[in-house]
Amino acid sequence: MTTTSSLRGKSAIVGVGTAGLGEAPGFNAMDIQALAVRAALDEAGLSLKDVDGLFCTNMSHTFPAISTIEYLGLNPRWIDGTNTGGSSFVAYALSATMALEAGLCDVALICYGATMRSGSGRMVPAAEQPIYELPHRPRYPMTAYALAATRHMAQFGTTRKQLATVAVAARDWAQLNPDAFERDPLTIEDVLASRMVMEPLSLRDCCLLTDGAGAVVMTRAERARDLAQKPTYFLGGGVASYNRAISEMPDLTSTAAKDSGKRAFAMAGLSQGDIDILQLYDAFTINVILFLEDLGFCAKGEGGAFVENGRIAPNGSLPVNTNGGGLSFCHPGMYGVFTLIEATRQLRGTADIRQVEKAETVLCHGNGITLSHQATAIFGNENTL
Amino acid sequence: MSHTGHETNPASGPDHEFQTHVFDGKFQLQRCEDCGIAIFMPRVICPTCGSFALEWHPASGLGTIYSQATLRPRAKPGEQPRPPHSIVLVDLDEGPRMMSHLPSVAPEDIHIGMRVRARIEGTLSKHLITFRPEESKS
Repeated sequence: MTTTSSLRGKSAIVGVGTAGLGEAPGFNAMDIQALAVRAALDEAGLSLKDVDGLFCTNMSHTFPAISTIEYLGLNPRWIDGTNTGGSSFVAYALSATMALEAGLCDVALICYGATMRSGSGRMVPAAEQPIYELPHRPRYPMTAYALAATRHMAQFGTTRKQLATVAVAARDWAQLNPDAFERDPLTIEDVLASRMVMEPLSLRDCCLLTDGAGAVVMTRAERARDLAQKPTYFLGGGVASYNRAISEMPDLTSTAAKDSGKRAFAMAGLSQGDIDILQLYDAFTINVILFLEDLGFCAKGEGGAFVENGRIAPNGSLPVNTNGGGLSFCHPGMYGVFTLIEATRQLRGTADIRQVEKAETVLCHGNGITLSHQATAIFGNENTL
Repeated sequence: MSHTGHETNPASGPDHEFQTHVFDGKFQLQRCEDCGIAIFMPRVICPTCGSFALEWHPASGLGTIYSQATLRPRAKPGEQPRPPHSIVLVDLDEGPRMMSHLPSVAPEDIHIGMRVRARIEGTLSKHLITFRPEESKS
């Protein structure tokens, strides 16, 4: 492998857990987060006392990491509460690797929990909003992604049917995942006929709004080999961001994933052809098309045609969002941590009937806020070291 | 703010300045006197070259629709259905992009590439830069 990075292969995911997926009435964000954390530590053969590095943010707490420390009774040596939106957790895979490698912590916990569905029934808006956009009555985050979709359609001829294909592929995967929230059959016609919400995006172009918590435990690679699960090795990561507000984004058809992806591939010493599975943050159908292009899996403008004919669906040549994604699996406000969890299950070979055969590498991509921050992380099994 | 120790700060913040111009019926943009770039949203520092030398200049008010998204409100029981509402991004002739909308223009009559002209809409308490279609000169 050609890479100049000293971080490649130095850490691994050793435990993953979820809780409260879908609906968790009567529980709050910290409750279900704690359940997910215990599940992740249990399967690794570790305990809360072992956790000395915390990587966490959320949408409900002013000081998410500190509230998590208090609730779980942690006493971490290293704390990273960087909040870049839903991409944060993919970025944490890189920062946790740095902290582990620098000896700042030995057991890194990445976690998230939210009760968007049973708590409030809507996205909890961020305290700070783009003040020059608000008076024109946008609906966040939908308006931002609809603006990107309109522009992509006008510039490259991308069609609503191609967008719908992304939603259908996600549903086809979700039907293979008993944990997925939406598992009823879905056709392209169903998506096109669903209620128009923010033109050109219809209801089925938009992700779910669910409860849910996820946790990921990472250690240095040599310790990972002594723990209970087959290690999922971190091979490379990268982040990029240029703007907060959608109106400040230089080109709505081209995201900072171009840079985050390039950085992750360079660190991993891999190229697109080496990747077996993609986990792309699909808050809206247009996201998958944008990220396939920006991460280099097809040329700019060709993402719409690329997803046709089942290419990203079960039995397709490039499996994308094998858990059903934010569109059909779950989306509790921030989805990033679930890309890491599904990558781990696929690389362990424990994804049951949705298992992709001979999966050795997975690329996870997180998107934050309104196409505002992008984070990419690449993982592999022992054969990729 | 003015002099605080070693710091020399502008008399008022750029947002306050921008909003004051809008309240007075003027659409003004900052321009960097060092690198020449026009700036929106208002800032204290040039995002291109880092200069503090930002001055206010009248905007031409002319721009081109870059993209559009249309909210189709769901009918609620006991309420009149609310009309669709298009949010647009406008590329100003000076360079910067801004979010806005075109009051009383149907979503179907708005399209990417359309030329638009700014106007200031306002009540006593709230002023806003919106756009209307620019009449074709040809």
